[in-house]
Amino acid sequence: MLRNILLATGITTALLAAGPASAAEKKTIAVSIPAADHGWTAGVVYHANAAAKEINKAFPDIEVIVKTSPSASAQVSAIEDLSATRKLDALVILPHSSEELTTPVKAIKDKGSFITVVDRGLNDPKIQDLYVAGDNIAVGFNTAKFLVEKMSGKGNVVVLRGIPTVIDDERIKGFQDGIKGSDLKILDIQYANWNSDQAFKLMQDYLAKYPQIDAVWANDDDMLLGVLEAIKQSGRKEIKFALGGNGMKEIIAKVMAGDAVTPVETPYPPSMIKTAIYLTAAHFAGHAPVRGSLKLDAPLITKANAAEYHFPDSPF
Amino acid sequence: MADVAAAPPRAQHNWSIGWGDAGPFLALAALVAIGFLINPDFLSANNIANVVTRSAFIAIIAIGATFVISSGGLDLSVGSMAAFITGVMILFMNWVAPSVGTAAIPLGMAVALVTGIACGLLNGTIVTVGRIEPFIATLGTMGIFRALITYMTDGGTVAIDRSLRDAYRPVYFGDVLGVPIPILVSLAVALVAAYVLYRTRYGRRCVAVGANEDVARYSGISVTRVRTLAYVIQGTCVAIAAICYVPRLGAATPTTGLLWELQVITAVVIGGTALRGGRGRVWGTVAGAVILEFIANLMVLSDFVSEYLVAAVQGVIIIIAMLIQRMSKR
Amino acid sequence: MTAALAPSPAADGAVAPVLRAERLCKEFGGVTVLSDASLDIRPGEIHAVIGENGAGKSTLMRLLSGYLRPSAGELRMDSAPIAFHAPSDAQAAGIALVHQEILLAEALTVTENIFIGREITRFGGLDERAMREAAAAQLAEIGCKVSPRALVRDLSLANRQLVQIAKALLGTHRVVIFDEPTAVLTHDEVDPLLDIIVELKQRGVAILYISHRLDEVERLADRVTVLRDGRMVGTYDAEGLTPQRMASLMVGREFASLYPPRLERELGEPALEIEHADVPGFVREVSFTLRKGEILGLAGMIGAGRTELFEGLLGLRPASFGAVRLHGRPVHFASPAQAAAAGFGYLTEDRKGKGLLLGERLAPNLTLAALDRVHPLAGLDLAGEARLLDTAVRGYDIRLRSRDARAGQLSGGNQQKLLLAKVMLNDPTVIVIDEPTRGIDIANKSQIYAFIQSLVREGRSCIVISSEMQELIGLCDRILVMRSGRINGELTGDAMSESNVALHATSSVASETTSEGNAHG
Repeated sequence: MLRNILLATGITTALLAAGPASAAEKKTIAVSIPAADHGWTAGVVYHANAAAKEINKAFPDIEVIVKTSPSASAQVSAIEDLSATRKLDALVILPHSSEELTTPVKAIKDKGSFITVVDRGLNDPKIQDLYVAGDNIAVGFNTAKFLVEKMSGKGNVVVLRGIPTVIDDERIKGFQDGIKGSDLKILDIQYANWNSDQAFKLMQDYLAKYPQIDAVWANDDDMLLGVLEAIKQSGRKEIKFALGGNGMKEIIAKVMAGDAVTPVETPYPPSMIKTAIYLTAAHFAGHAPVRGSLKLDAPLITKANAAEYHFPDSPF
Repeated sequence: MADVAAAPPRAQHNWSIGWGDAGPFLALAALVAIGFLINPDFLSANNIANVVTRSAFIAIIAIGATFVISSGGLDLSVGSMAAFITGVMILFMNWVAPSVGTAAIPLGMAVALVTGIACGLLNGTIVTVGRIEPFIATLGTMGIFRALITYMTDGGTVAIDRSLRDAYRPVYFGDVLGVPIPILVSLAVALVAAYVLYRTRYGRRCVAVGANEDVARYSGISVTRVRTLAYVIQGTCVAIAAICYVPRLGAATPTTGLLWELQVITAVVIGGTALRGGRGRVWGTVAGAVILEFIANLMVLSDFVSEYLVAAVQGVIIIIAMLIQRMSKR
Repeated sequence: MTAALAPSPAADGAVAPVLRAERLCKEFGGVTVLSDASLDIRPGEIHAVIGENGAGKSTLMRLLSGYLRPSAGELRMDSAPIAFHAPSDAQAAGIALVHQEILLAEALTVTENIFIGREITRFGGLDERAMREAAAAQLAEIGCKVSPRALVRDLSLANRQLVQIAKALLGTHRVVIFDEPTAVLTHDEVDPLLDIIVELKQRGVAILYISHRLDEVERLADRVTVLRDGRMVGTYDAEGLTPQRMASLMVGREFASLYPPRLERELGEPALEIEHADVPGFVREVSFTLRKGEILGLAGMIGAGRTELFEGLLGLRPASFGAVRLHGRPVHFASPAQAAAAGFGYLTEDRKGKGLLLGERLAPNLTLAALDRVHPLAGLDLAGEARLLDTAVRGYDIRLRSRDARAGQLSGGNQQKLLLAKVMLNDPTVIVIDEPTRGIDIANKSQIYAFIQSLVREGRSCIVISSEMQELIGLCDRILVMRSGRINGELTGDAMSESNVALHATSSVASETTSEGNAHG
């Protein structure tokens, strides 16, 4: 009896002591990402919010805060404000631009925060504890390899590229490397700014210019939508493949349905932000070592594995 | 001395004014000739039809802008407004489609028109009643419309309901006697606009307000009413463009209509409308919109411009087109 | 008398001319606007050039100052042939032009305006001090008391004109061409300017003086060259050349009087009654009555509140009225459109800024204030409009080079007639004409006066606002003189004299009615 009482008192005391203590130890993970201004960033926002909700529910000791910013300078202000008002145990950041964010993120690192960088690397890789990114070169390379194989190494290809950035350059470079050694010929490469309207117009012009096009590669799915519409309007039948990239849900759905012209897709999934947030949470909750780099592969998505990449509720 | 005015010589003025108005058409003709020399495919019926059809949105919006600009205003919000109207229209059609079927399309068009008129009225009221510089006022609404479409789409895409897709498609892709419907729509809009601007009292008042607000006011013209109505016309034109635009890709995204305002203003100015107001040229505006689209088309069809330099060459061509226009005025 | 009026020999051996024009011709696109113009300008003389609008005065002036190049003929400077390719060539040769319109940047200071385009630099930077001192010296030379640091925006019209003269005189100047320098000035501002011109002459500068105001020409000129329809009528010694005679030479016929003979008539019922008008900042407690068939003059200095009174009445600026009655009926106008509909017409003093669309053709200008009346249907009745323009061109004797001309291409007088025609399209019964003849030549003036009289003969009633006392006295049945926003005197009959008007306009004399013989009819 006495023992029971003692035990009960002990538990109560422990609980009382643990109460404020655990509150003090509640870990804060701040997530700073670009605001949703096109399909892919909209996906990032969706997945970041989903991860925050799930983790906040699953781990009461971890609080995830998501902040979106419309520009690099707004992002700098946002993380400065976050770190000024509370102690950040970790910062997960998808930087608008590498140059402008490097110094501000370093300042937060110096205060003792765990830094996870997603997608675009900072200028100084020593700042990051964890780096999660997709593989832009593989996006182009794997698509190219698929075309070379399916077209027996020959044919005419037209390419639509996005906005002049590193991401765009890497994808194009991967594609060019992938077709090296084959007789696949790139008829034309032009910018369409990752915009479906411009891709529609550009594809119309390609169709007017080239009488024989065997395949089209748009290095982003927004552009692929415009391309498909232009092909449909032209009534041209010789185009065997029209491929995109990034993993937009509409295109994944096509792959799942076994579309003949768009049978495969390469992911550069916005869900990588979710991967990064979960790994960061694991650092605190799971006491598992997560420091290092994680490069998400860009394997071909085919009918067989498409469901894994399909998020029907995501805007992207 | 009362009979001096009997036989005024008139030759020289007729001549110079005629050529001045022909400027944009000369530039267009020059561009077509150059295009043909660079790539004979340029003049294929298919290519011409495609390009002119594509220019329809900018042309229709720019016709509205011709009113706003010749009345001395400016509207930077047209691109965002187009996206916003597109979004409202698609969401509305998707909402009513389950109950009314394809009747959703005409209903959606009506909603688009009402939305466009409301947006134009908003812009016009802020500018006239609120007495805010058109540049600032419409810069403000530009942000508002853009944010609203981003909000409506969650930053992603809202696509038109599959059941409506095929029924609506002909509005962009269909044709009457071989002429694509968007071309017919923009011709109809231009005809009505030219009539309104050149042959109605409102057109007279619109240009007068733009030429000299004081003269207009002293002549008993309500500057507020005329300006506001110009913005309403602009909103209506944006709505008509949106109606033609929706079936093309069947979706609205936050990047829909991005930077259209600049293309619209460029088309209007290439067409010979004075940016400071007081002079409107509806058919010149249409030519200006076609010129812009031809230039982009030519960049792709020609092989000697590096993809990295396309924008620079486009800029040079636009400036040359303006010079041709300016010189033809001499 | 006859000897004085005969063309004087080109050079009477007195002084060698600085600048000589020989058989200058100018044509634009096949239309000859000036032919065979020969004249010379001598140091220390004022050579006036007069002529109706369209006579070729401004073409001649622009040829002499390098803005235009002659189609034929030549210019000689100090008897050596010289050609100007640009205004700067003429400037370099010592020919300065004082423009009729004030062409100054309002947001800049006096110094900045004077030195615009020819700034003094020092070590690559602007030498503000040197420029300010030079500007001050130049201003002092012409007796202008404006600070070189003042903003042009803050100056009166008269001072702006002086700054413009200082600007023209900067640097060497052997010939100064004045293009109607007094056109924008009020009566009181003219005298100091004329003194400056005389002083320049006494310093040995050769002056070419273009003006509509023949009394000024009579006062100033040593010789007078008359142009008519692009041709030289002749050059005359000014001695004994009366304004009357000058006018006759200009129009090519004998000229009786500028003003139509007074109408003998009974005035009718009150047409416009204004009680206790108050326009904050401009007009206080003004009441008066205009009777049917009357021409009522409104005199006063610039800023006396005359224009503002009617802008207030039209709803163009905040104002309050005890009562306004038009033909006995109380009215309130919220906009010029309502006023026009009620039969009240107002002709602005600022025909270029508020009256006409200068870049627009004539027909749209004519009908702009009466669109609903002229075009009752949905579409414009262009044929009807063209007929209206024909009627107006004939009825108001508007002279134009082409039916497609822009309003801005008309001369001032013809613009004013077009503006009259425009306001009359609404068929007003009461018409206010603000500065009916500002900047207009003599023949057009006379036509406009006759026209105003024909209005009242038709039973309309007219208020004429003018800064030219002569024209109010010559035209009006009665004159109200305003001063500082109040009516400071009413003159009728023989009391309508320049000295009386000036007295009431400038000093607060007892504001009782000064009328002799109570000449209300």
